[in-house]
Amino acid sequence: MPELATPPRAVPALAIERLSYAYSSATRPASDPHLGLDAGRVLHDVSLTLAPGEFAVLAGRSASGKTTLLRAACGLVPHFHGGEIEGSVEVAGIDAIAAGPGELASVVGYVAQDPETQIVSTTVAAEIALPLEMRGDAPASRARAVEEVALALAIPQLLDRTVDTLSGGELQRVALAAALVTRPKLVLLDEPTSQLDPVAGDELIWLLRRLNEEWGVSILLAEHRLERCLAAADRVIAMSSGAIGFDGAPSDFLAWAQSNDTALETPAARLFSLSGLEPLPTGVRQARQTLSAATPPLGRVAGGWGGLQRSGVNFSPENHPRTAATSPGEKSSKPETPPTARQDPPAATVRALWVELGEADVLRGIDLTIRRGERVALMGRNGAGKSTLLRTLAGLVDPVRGRAEAAAGIALLTQSPGDYLVRERVADELPGDAGRAALRSVGLEHAVEADPRDLSGGERQRLALAIALAGRTEGAELPGLVALDEPTRGMDRARRCGLEQLIEGLAGRGAGVVVATHDVEFAAAFAARVVLLGDGVVIADGGAAEVLSGGWYFATEVARILDLPGVVTPEQGVAALIDAEAGR
Amino acid sequence: MRSPFAYTPRRGPLQAASPGAAVAYLGAFVAVAFLYSSPLVLAAAGLGAALAGRFAGAGGAVRVALRMGLTLALLIVAVNALVVDRGETVLLRLGELPLLGEVNVTAEALAAGATIGLRAAVAMVAFAVYSACVDPDRVLRALRPVARRSALTAALISRLVPVAAADASRLREASRLRGPAAAPLGRAALARRLLTGSLDRAVDVAATLELRGYSLQPPNPPRSIAAFSTQGWGKGSKRRSRYDRRFYLTGAVVLLAAIAGKLLGADGFHAYPTIELDPTPATLAVSALAILAGLAPMRRPAGRRNA
Repeated sequence: MPELATPPRAVPALAIERLSYAYSSATRPASDPHLGLDAGRVLHDVSLTLAPGEFAVLAGRSASGKTTLLRAACGLVPHFHGGEIEGSVEVAGIDAIAAGPGELASVVGYVAQDPETQIVSTTVAAEIALPLEMRGDAPASRARAVEEVALALAIPQLLDRTVDTLSGGELQRVALAAALVTRPKLVLLDEPTSQLDPVAGDELIWLLRRLNEEWGVSILLAEHRLERCLAAADRVIAMSSGAIGFDGAPSDFLAWAQSNDTALETPAARLFSLSGLEPLPTGVRQARQTLSAATPPLGRVAGGWGGLQRSGVNFSPENHPRTAATSPGEKSSKPETPPTARQDPPAATVRALWVELGEADVLRGIDLTIRRGERVALMGRNGAGKSTLLRTLAGLVDPVRGRAEAAAGIALLTQSPGDYLVRERVADELPGDAGRAALRSVGLEHAVEADPRDLSGGERQRLALAIALAGRTEGAELPGLVALDEPTRGMDRARRCGLEQLIEGLAGRGAGVVVATHDVEFAAAFAARVVLLGDGVVIADGGAAEVLSGGWYFATEVARILDLPGVVTPEQGVAALIDAEAGR
Repeated sequence: MRSPFAYTPRRGPLQAASPGAAVAYLGAFVAVAFLYSSPLVLAAAGLGAALAGRFAGAGGAVRVALRMGLTLALLIVAVNALVVDRGETVLLRLGELPLLGEVNVTAEALAAGATIGLRAAVAMVAFAVYSACVDPDRVLRALRPVARRSALTAALISRLVPVAAADASRLREASRLRGPAAAPLGRAALARRLLTGSLDRAVDVAATLELRGYSLQPPNPPRSIAAFSTQGWGKGSKRRSRYDRRFYLTGAVVLLAAIAGKLLGADGFHAYPTIELDPTPATLAVSALAILAGLAPMRRPAGRRNA
C-alpha cells in the first residue's frame, strides 16, 4: 500500500526568532519608565510565529515595543531606522532583515499609527494604485484592484478626492486600502482605529476579520482599545518592556491581564472580574451569552446571582467591592460640577452657530453652553464637526453666522500634537518652574532632557498638552475652557487614567473641560455630560451615563452587555449586578 | 486651510505637461534671472513667471510668492545697504555703528541689493508656479528610474515643498495656542521647526515609498511606449503631453535668447562705482521675450482648437 504523501508544511506568514533590537542613538526613543531596558534595547529576545490566516492582536502599554516589532516585520527596522539588530525575521519565507521593505512590499502591508505620515500621492485613487504601479501591474488590473479594495473599505466615493481634503478617519481607510490592494499575505496595523469613530472602528475590525477569513490574510494588529478587537482575534500577543509577556488565546490573555497588568483589561473583563464571573468574556456577545445563561436573564428579572450560580456560572459575591461601586441611581464617583462654579459666567457660549468649510456647512445652527467646572465629551462620527466647533471656539475659524465665545479664555490642544513641538529639547519648550509643573501634570517630568521628536506617540501627545496648558494648570491664569481634540490617541489605559485625573483637576479648579473624542470608554470615565454631534447638529446632549447607555455604537462595552439605562462603567455594572442579586 | 502653494489639479496646459517640460519652461525664467543683472530684464522675467502662474490658474500662489519675494528683496536691499561700503553716491551717513563700523548708505548699494532681491523674487515666483501646477505624483513617478534606490531623494524633491506649505499654516495655528509659560516662538524658531518637520515628514514619506515597493526594479515599458518615453509605466505619463513641445520650445527659446543677448551686451547694468543702466535693443528684446514667454500656459480658444 503506497504511503500517503505528507502535505507540505505551510510557510508561516511571520516567523521571528530571538529578535533583539536597539535604535541607533540618533533615533532611539526617550527612556520611559515602562521600558526599563538595558542599553536602549526596544525589543528583547522576541520569538513568535504567525500562521497563514491567523488574526493576532498585539497588546501592550505605550512604549512596550509594539510599533518597533511591526516595523521589524515589514523591514523598516533595521533598513530604514538603522540600529542594532540580532535574531531573524522571516515574512512568508523571505528574510526581512536581508531583503528590506521594498522586496517585502508584495507580501506585507503596513498601516502606521498616523495615516498622515504614510500618504504620498495627491489623489486617493493614485495613492491606492501606487503599490500596484510600482510592481508593474497593467492599468486594467490596477483599476479593478483599486475599485475592489475601495468597495471593500466603503470608500469608492473618495477615489477622486485629493488627500488633503480627507478627515483623519478617511485617511486611515485610504492608508489601509493602499496596504491591502496588493492582497498581501500579512497585514500589519498599528492602532488603526485610533482616529476612527466607534462606528468606523468596529466596521474596520470586522472588515479585517472578513479579509482574514475570505482572503486568508494573516493579520497582526497593535491596538490599545482591546475591547474592539479581542472578539475578532484568534490570538493575543502581549508585549511588556520589549519582550513577549503573553502569547495565547484571547480568553487566556484576559486572565493573564487580570493578574499581571490590569491596564490591559477590557471593560467587559473588568466587569466580570470585579463580579467574580467566569469565563472572562472576549466581547459583548460572549458576555451576554454568559449572563443570559442565567435563568432568568439579568436585568430583566430579579434572577440575580442565585440564578447565575444555578446556571453554572461561577460567581462569588463575597469577593466584590460593593463599597467601591456605584449604582445608576447613586451618586457617581466622578466629582460633580462645583456648585459655586455654576454661578459663574459660562466657560463657552455657542449660539446659532453656522460654519462653512470649503463649500460645505460643517456646523449647522449649533446652540451649546458649557459651564465652568463641567466635563464634557464631544462625540460624533468622523466629519461630524467636533474639531471645527473647538477651532471656532478658539478663534481659528470664523463662523458664517451666529457666535461662539469662550469669554474667560481657552486652551486648545489640536489633533496634531507634533505642531506644538518646536524645539529640540523638552526643557526648552517648557522652561522654568511653570514648565516643570506642566510636565509633571502630564507625567513627563522624566523626559526633560529628551528631544520631543524621540518621544513615543503617546508621550508627544502629553507633551503637547503640557505646552497648551503651560502656566495655566494652576492659579488665576487657568482658562475658562480647556478643549482637547482627540487627546487619547496612542495612550494606553494607564495613561488615559492620568489624563482623567488631569481633567478632573482642571474642572475642579473651575475650568470647563470639553474633549472631542471617539473613545467611549474614556468619555464614560471622565465626562459628566456628553454632547453628540451628527452632521453638524447636536443630536444628543445629556448626562454621560444616559447618552452612553442609550445607543449601540456610541455606547460603552458594559452598556452594550447589560443594556441597562445609566450603566456604562464596569463599576456601575457590578453595582447593577449586585442590585439584581439583592432584589432577588 | 489649504496652502496656496499646494498642487491643485486643473485642466490647463501647464498642469497637463510632463514634469520635465514644466521644469524646463519655468527654469528658463530662473536662468534669465541668474544670468542678468539688468533690473529691466529681471522685472521682465518676474512678470513672465507671474503671467505664467496667472494663466495656469495659480494666481493665489503667485500673489503669496510675490509678497514673500518682495519682502525678502526689501530685506536684502536693507542688509546690502548697511554692509556694502561701495558706490559713490552717498545718500545717508549713519556714522559709526557697532560691528558694522562706519556706515554710508549709497544709491549703488541699494541698487545692487535690489538686483539680488529681484533675482530671489523671480526664483520664488517661478517655484511657486511649479509647486501649484506640477503634480507631485508625476514628479515622483518620473524620478523613479533615476532615484529608484533613494526613495528619500525622490520624497524630498517631490514632496518637501507641498508638505512644508501644508505644515506652515498648522504650525502658525499651533503657535497661537501655546500656553503662557511655554517658550515663546519667534519666526526663526518656527522656520527651523518647519524645515526639520518637513524633512521628518519627507523621511516618513520615503519610508512609505519603500513599503509601497518604490525601490523595486521598474517594469519594462511596452515597446511602443518605450520608443518615445522613458517613463511610460506610470499613470498619466504613458505618453507625452501634447503641450510638452510648447513648453520645451518656449523654455529653450528664452534660454538661448538670454545667452545670445548676454553675449551681445544686453545686460547693460553696473551698480558700482556708479549706477549705469544702458538698455540696448537687445535688452528690450530679451525682456519682451521673457514677458511673452509668460503667455505659454494660455489655452487656445475653443474655436481655434477645433479648427
